[in-house]
Amino acid sequence: MPTLLIALLVLPVLGGLANVILPAFGWLPALGENALSIKGFSALFATAGLTNMLMLSFSSALLSTLLAFVMTILIMASYFNSPWLGRIQRLLGPILVIPHAAAAIAIAFLITPSGLFSRMLSPWLTDWQAPVDWLLPHDPFGLSIILGLTLKELPFLLLIALGALSQKELGKTLHAQHKVALSLGYCPITAFFKVVLPALYPYLRLPVLAVLAYASASVEIPLILGPNTPPTLAVAILHWFNDVDLTLRIQASAGALLQLIVTLFTLTCWLVLEWLVKFFAKNSLTNGQREYAGQLIKWLTHLLTTLLMSVIVMALAGLILWSVAGFWRFPAALPEKLLFMHWQSAFSQMQTPIINTLLIGFAATSIALFLTLLTLEAEQQRGYELSSLVSLLIYLPMLIPSIAFLFGLVWLQEQLSSRHAYFNVIFSHLLFVLPYVFLSLASSYRLLDKRFAQVGASLGAAPLKVFLQIKLPQLLPAILVALALGLAISFSQYLPTILPGGGRINTITTEAVALANGASRRVSSVYALTQMILPGLGFLLAWLLPKFIFRHKDL
Amino acid sequence: MPKTRLVLRYMRLTLLLSALVTALTSYGQPTHFETIQQQGQNQPVYFHAWGGDAQINAYIQWLASEVKAAYNIDLVHVKLNDTSEAVNRVLAEKSAANHNNGQVDLIWINGANFAAMAKNKLLAPDWAFELPNFALTNPDKNPAMSRDFSLPTQGMEAPWGQAALTFYYDSVATPVPPKTLTELLSWSKQNPGRFSYPKPPDFLGVSFLKYALLVLNNNRPAQHLLYQPATPQSQALLLPELWQFLDKLHPYLWRSGRYFVSSGITLRRLMGDTELSLAFTFSAPEVAGAVERFDLPRSIRSYAMADGSLSNIHFIAIPYNAAHQASAKLVANFMLSVKAQAKKQQAMVWGDRTVLDLSALTPKQQEKFKPAKPHLSALPINSNSPALSEPHPSWSNLLTHEWLKRYGAQ
Repeated sequence: MPTLLIALLVLPVLGGLANVILPAFGWLPALGENALSIKGFSALFATAGLTNMLMLSFSSALLSTLLAFVMTILIMASYFNSPWLGRIQRLLGPILVIPHAAAAIAIAFLITPSGLFSRMLSPWLTDWQAPVDWLLPHDPFGLSIILGLTLKELPFLLLIALGALSQKELGKTLHAQHKVALSLGYCPITAFFKVVLPALYPYLRLPVLAVLAYASASVEIPLILGPNTPPTLAVAILHWFNDVDLTLRIQASAGALLQLIVTLFTLTCWLVLEWLVKFFAKNSLTNGQREYAGQLIKWLTHLLTTLLMSVIVMALAGLILWSVAGFWRFPAALPEKLLFMHWQSAFSQMQTPIINTLLIGFAATSIALFLTLLTLEAEQQRGYELSSLVSLLIYLPMLIPSIAFLFGLVWLQEQLSSRHAYFNVIFSHLLFVLPYVFLSLASSYRLLDKRFAQVGASLGAAPLKVFLQIKLPQLLPAILVALALGLAISFSQYLPTILPGGGRINTITTEAVALANGASRRVSSVYALTQMILPGLGFLLAWLLPKFIFRHKDL
Repeated sequence: MPKTRLVLRYMRLTLLLSALVTALTSYGQPTHFETIQQQGQNQPVYFHAWGGDAQINAYIQWLASEVKAAYNIDLVHVKLNDTSEAVNRVLAEKSAANHNNGQVDLIWINGANFAAMAKNKLLAPDWAFELPNFALTNPDKNPAMSRDFSLPTQGMEAPWGQAALTFYYDSVATPVPPKTLTELLSWSKQNPGRFSYPKPPDFLGVSFLKYALLVLNNNRPAQHLLYQPATPQSQALLLPELWQFLDKLHPYLWRSGRYFVSSGITLRRLMGDTELSLAFTFSAPEVAGAVERFDLPRSIRSYAMADGSLSNIHFIAIPYNAAHQASAKLVANFMLSVKAQAKKQQAMVWGDRTVLDLSALTPKQQEKFKPAKPHLSALPINSNSPALSEPHPSWSNLLTHEWLKRYGAQ
């Protein structure tokens, strides 16, 4: 069973990569290019500003991940034993399900010179009667990209960290050890860094790398928030692929390979950084020092967390206001008039995209759930865990930049079955949904108390019956969360929808990205908000359904 | 058989078709188009068209409901970010040897995209002239209807609408807008950061460059070279003026010329935000529509530049491998009908100028094109500006390429 799962994930990725490598070396029969050459690479290296592109991709990915990681650790350290940890998690949780495009739109609306932020301060503080000409968003240093990526990555890392702590054994041990350290006179923050972090980090490592890989090659956030003279490499590749000049495809394929190298280099830098920290911090773990400016760090964390929360709240408020705004001239803090016209006109055009979004989401997630449950059950019945290689392979679609293999995958799909756009899109979504569903379900499945199954088996129940009547009901809440997560991932996919579907299949996300740089702030706000509401509903259901189903049982 | 086809083609080209159609219909025999009509019903048509404007999308939705009622055709609007996405798709299909079952039935296209598709033989030829409604454009008198950026269309595409570069400004921020390219430079110096143009290869951005190039070389003997394929000699002759002008202009642009919006439509949003005070568009009446939807302030006014307006026609084409060619032709014919063209020209619908020759229509039909009460923000009817024809498409690619080399990385 794992073999099927792995084949399903690995073959399309590798096949897609192969179909990018050939054109990169000049082999593109459609254009009459039948000879291997390196002209794609020479054109690529002659591109104006290539170094800037690479630096931008690299620095925005590394800095945003570093920032998100440090803030995760600071929040964990400062609120380790406080009820605030749960509260922050509940506040940030919803951010996780907001698609990247929607988050980028919200942030762009906040920091743009005519955005809510400068409207709040104008003209009473700044004396601006017209929007100033500052360079946010789209600044050449990628600060806006870093802000966007950090805001999206932080909740993910925080939830992973908290998820690791919620594993019974690990959580209990670490909390106990933390208490021991406190009783030895360690400051709570020092205790966290010296006792908890070294044990916790291994659980964070792979997710951090996945986040880093994603950030180095993401398209939506740099497209909406990033500079374009030049843009990041991934955005440039997308433009080349879509250019009128078809020979640029060779250059784009070469660029996709370069993107792979950039991503690998970024990952390597993280590992080196990790090693350096380990090397220099090794001694301080055992030096017995109890206190390192703990109070200061705590205040800093309070400040950062408050800042973060206000950015999120203001970005959301801005979106909601724009979606119902009449005329709204700068520097007015509120629109002249509130009206529902934009929602009404958007809804008249939104039905097909919403149906497509739901159809594709449910299809991909159901297949992913089915395969995951089958694999996990097979693993338990055979009594061995997946090897670490297999676990790593499951991450493959998350680690390899999608821009590098999706174009090749589309060529592959076209050669196999060009008429089934829905099938192609659902299949491509499955590549991205499956890893998340698997990861989200695997730990709950493996933590399931085996004695229930053993009692069932000893009473003569067949394995299938045990699976259906004992394990599944116990797993229902976890399955529903995995379902909601899978749906959220599918809802937010941009490239895997637009490319295999040939643009024929519109979802809320493709519409939102198409309109993000469009003419109307009001219409894009409506789409961005709809993009947030859909996955939110999924998680709400995942949370409410178990309560409803188990309402008569004392669990 | 080949002989008759040749004769037929000749007749099409001489545009006797409209007469032919009427004549044949009156005899009650199935004409070529009637055969198309029979074959084309009850099928889907995938129309690949740029989808960044809600107003245009709504008009295409209206088209869909009309062809559904008339022919039971399901017209599906595939919304593109960029028309080149559809070009790429057809190319990918050709490379996969999919020669009959293509996913793209109809494309909204012109200029460089058309040139690329025509060059790679990706379009169905010789169909546009045989549409009965094509005669309404009066092609004898308007040769522009069968030329796309100075390239002959050879029946590969049918005209859909026409547009001229129109400027609009925020009359609160700047009571007197610049009327010529030279004034634009001095105005920008007085109002730094209040004007910008989209980054090439965006269509509107390249159009601004072409407007500047044409005006800067106006009255120069070399200007006619712009209507021929670009050569190293003609480049050296014509381009330096443009770069000198841009070097002077860029420091006074929005974001000091260090960031250019990627899509032309974004200019309108920046006008709505009052970050810009002056912008331009290819579909003038969309400005009034945007004011009605609160996307632009009420103080917006439109005008045409006194030193000329870049003008072009946009078309619809059918890929050579489209799965539903007959249905696509039916849709294209309907798009050229008086009903569809009149609706498209209404400011509140889309405001795209018709390609039909009003003088060739009956008075009753002409009535449908009369504008309702003019909008304050719309282009005044009496605004006169010399039309500047589009240069040869090779200049678009060249301008993009050279621009990116100069200003693409800063």
